[in-house]
Amino acid sequence: MSYDTVVIGAGLAGLTAALRLTEAGQRVLVVARGVGATHLAPATVDVLGYLGDAPVTTPAASVRALIASSPTHPYAHLSAEQLAASLTWFCTKTAALGYTGNSDQNMLLPTALGVPKPSALAPRSMSGGDLRAGGRFVFVGLKGFKDFHPTLIADNLNHARLPIRVEARGLELAPPASRLGDLSGRVIAGRFDTDSLAGWLIDALEHRVDPDERIGIPAVLGLRRGDATWQELEQRLQRTVFEVATLPPSVPGIRLFDVLAGALRAGGARIVLGVRAVGARATQGGIEAVDVANATGTVSYPVSSVVLASGGFASGGLELDSFGTTRETVFGLPLTGLPDTDRVRFAEHYFDGQPLATAGVATDDRLRPLDRSGSPVYQNLHAAGAILGGATPWKEKSGTGISVATGYAAAEAILAPAPAAAPVSEVVR
Amino acid sequence: MPSQNPSLSSLEADVLVIGGGSTGAGVARDAALRGFSTILVERRDLADGTTGRFHGLLHSGGRYAVKDPSAARECIAENRILRVTAADCVEDTGGLFVSTPWDDPEYGDQFLEGCRATGVPAEEIPVAEALRREPRVNPDIRRAFLVPDAALDPWKLVWGCARSAEEHGARILPYHRVLDVEMDGERVVGARVRSERSGEEFRIHATVVINAAGAWAGQIATLARCTVNVRAGMGLMIAMNHRLVHMCVNRCKRPSDGDILLPLRTACVIGTTDVFVPDPDQTEIRQEDIDLLLDEGEKLVPGFRQARALHAWAGVRPLFEDTAAVAETRDVTRSHALLDHSSREGIAGFLTITGGKTTTFRLMAEAAVDAACEQLGGPRPCRTAEVPLAGSESHELYRISHRLAAREPVPQAEEIICECELITRSRLEDTIKQRETTSLDDIRRLLRLAMGPCQGGFCIYRATGILHQGGQVDQAGANQALLDFIEERWKGVHPILHGDQLRQARLDDWIFQGILDVEHLPV
Repeated sequence: MSYDTVVIGAGLAGLTAALRLTEAGQRVLVVARGVGATHLAPATVDVLGYLGDAPVTTPAASVRALIASSPTHPYAHLSAEQLAASLTWFCTKTAALGYTGNSDQNMLLPTALGVPKPSALAPRSMSGGDLRAGGRFVFVGLKGFKDFHPTLIADNLNHARLPIRVEARGLELAPPASRLGDLSGRVIAGRFDTDSLAGWLIDALEHRVDPDERIGIPAVLGLRRGDATWQELEQRLQRTVFEVATLPPSVPGIRLFDVLAGALRAGGARIVLGVRAVGARATQGGIEAVDVANATGTVSYPVSSVVLASGGFASGGLELDSFGTTRETVFGLPLTGLPDTDRVRFAEHYFDGQPLATAGVATDDRLRPLDRSGSPVYQNLHAAGAILGGATPWKEKSGTGISVATGYAAAEAILAPAPAAAPVSEVVR
Repeated sequence: MPSQNPSLSSLEADVLVIGGGSTGAGVARDAALRGFSTILVERRDLADGTTGRFHGLLHSGGRYAVKDPSAARECIAENRILRVTAADCVEDTGGLFVSTPWDDPEYGDQFLEGCRATGVPAEEIPVAEALRREPRVNPDIRRAFLVPDAALDPWKLVWGCARSAEEHGARILPYHRVLDVEMDGERVVGARVRSERSGEEFRIHATVVINAAGAWAGQIATLARCTVNVRAGMGLMIAMNHRLVHMCVNRCKRPSDGDILLPLRTACVIGTTDVFVPDPDQTEIRQEDIDLLLDEGEKLVPGFRQARALHAWAGVRPLFEDTAAVAETRDVTRSHALLDHSSREGIAGFLTITGGKTTTFRLMAEAAVDAACEQLGGPRPCRTAEVPLAGSESHELYRISHRLAAREPVPQAEEIICECELITRSRLEDTIKQRETTSLDDIRRLLRLAMGPCQGGFCIYRATGILHQGGQVDQAGANQALLDFIEERWKGVHPILHGDQLRQARLDDWIFQGILDVEHLPV
């Protein structure tokens, strides 16, 4: 079987690229070793939260400042319009989750430690936690759920440096006994979907929360019915209710994966997990087929274009071996952001700048990985997401923003091919 | 400075022990069991020096059978005692000495002869049988020998001694630093100490002061105008994910670098190197030493370099030398040294016990307290070879499945806070209360919190929340505990970061910074 595009990686960048291509009429195959970082990260879209040490309030504007100081940053390949368009498109495609926000202003959403974290977009089940308006908050823990500590969240928020007064308290409730012990967020989410846990929560909260308090609960309100359960809670409690993202697995992230993967399948794309792209057959013109290893052997898929969205070190797109060699694991692409020394030496203090933090592939403005001479390695290979070098997304709070924006831009580059002699604008450093 | 707390302004004891490693804890326990009032002071936490940083091998003596027969004899005797009295600290893994293609197979004959002469049970088994027991070991080994090596949990051992000492009236004071040794003419009469937690200073008067400061014993001796030439021999260890071997696997050759690989709970540890360092507090982990251990590991277990390395750390052996300098630290005897400073320098009431190794800590303690008895009115019998440690009363040897077995009958009972080490919420809460500590690193040493594959990625957040909920710390204290612990874990993670463990570390970056944003906590 042949596809127009093979997308390698099923994280946010890969799913975004695949969906944009699918809705434009392409036949798309997504291959991945497993689900991606959607299942780990909060489902917010963080475009840019910090510029150096300074919190960012206006991400679109600050991205321009970021590019000026970090010209190899992935955002440097995108125009302001492309970035804004990608977020608008993303909100449309995820309407079932009701993403709110934009790239002009960051919300401030409390983390599971009560730190106000800047995010551009959030599903409506989370955006009610926006701290910018100040006010009174109650954070509700569920006894038996170890990944949420409401009193610590509240105490930290009461000590947070915020321009407006926030008053928070913690509350711990004991859900009806479950035959399962040691509940993960995913298991509790299942109970919300099937066991009418929402009814219990409403009864338990009704008389314990003041009318002017907003209610923060761990992001476990259900997988299939998460958004519906959130709506039910808001309507029946007549309060603002919001989910707070906590440790993996990320329930809102799984919801996001399900929405995007569902749209892909509905559009005719194919998603194959549990396989590994291991290389390509290429000619001068570019990649003709992608080799994908499954449990029984290797299948070669003829393609017109390829999107590499295999992630960074966390997802296995990049690897460092015990001899100190860093490599891109699918095509062996040249990498940028490697230390000058022949061995990687990580810094002694955790929060110091660490080597390999910005490692990844360098691309041209069409997001094509470049070789050492600054030419695209393959004319029809595009990269998106955490495989791109030049960013420290967990520090900048830019990971999901980069994935959405570059996933979208990679698809756009495939859909609108440039003239054959397009100049290459970026040089590998 | 006068003390705020009258009960601590001055303490009295028959015996003051300086140093809270296995030797010091063993001395304190031995003295307390003999009925002496005893106080132990340790500048940091118990077992935070050499004891908590060794590879974890309870020697059979096989390693020393050829080169150091007296050390071998001591090892097998103590090995037999600790299997009974410290059963809960010992996993009976057994030991295997193998001749790899890099080792002279004829050394095996010397090895067997040495074992026979020193009373270390050793039995040659067919290579096929060795490979059946250890399928990951290099299939090209030529000879294999069984010995009764075992794995020893240093923290359980030291805390078992400390608790036992306390049951017999001793006071155990971790985080108390000796500022000065108090003298009355040519006699040591106690020490001035400072609580590192409260800053309070006070005096401890004692009839006998026993210097059990290990690699730091020279520094303590100087305070009493005595000289102890103890040099620090740094050894590097690397913990690997999973038990790549079931037994303590040793190379059958003269002891050298990177020739021991042993299972330790859910991980395994390769050791070690041996380098003189001028200051026992300055241990730098060098890339060439890591490469050396990984390469030696590859000889024992092919594919070792692709296996997942979790953590690297360095410990310092106390190497006692009485006379001239020794060029190679491996040439210094691993037997211990007991120094009576009244005969050496004319300073009474002061003993130093150093050298040796964790396997023989009990014997060292016995020797030291025997000597102390002479200054405390005459001999009293040592009981540590018979009386079990706190926690080992049932004489039941530790098994890898202990925590799982305790957990399985009641899976729905409560949360597992650290999945890697199967630590339940109540166990964590009880330990926080019992230790009265706000340091998650103290908890780590007691429970092995965050010592598994994720190196705290998941459990640090949970433990911080529980610490805060218990009311022992306010939010600022909880945040500080979390940040300190992340920093502490990183110390052992960063030197060895590659492969799957870098992948794990990047996930932890996402958890700490991307999801929780710990960098912007209010502290």
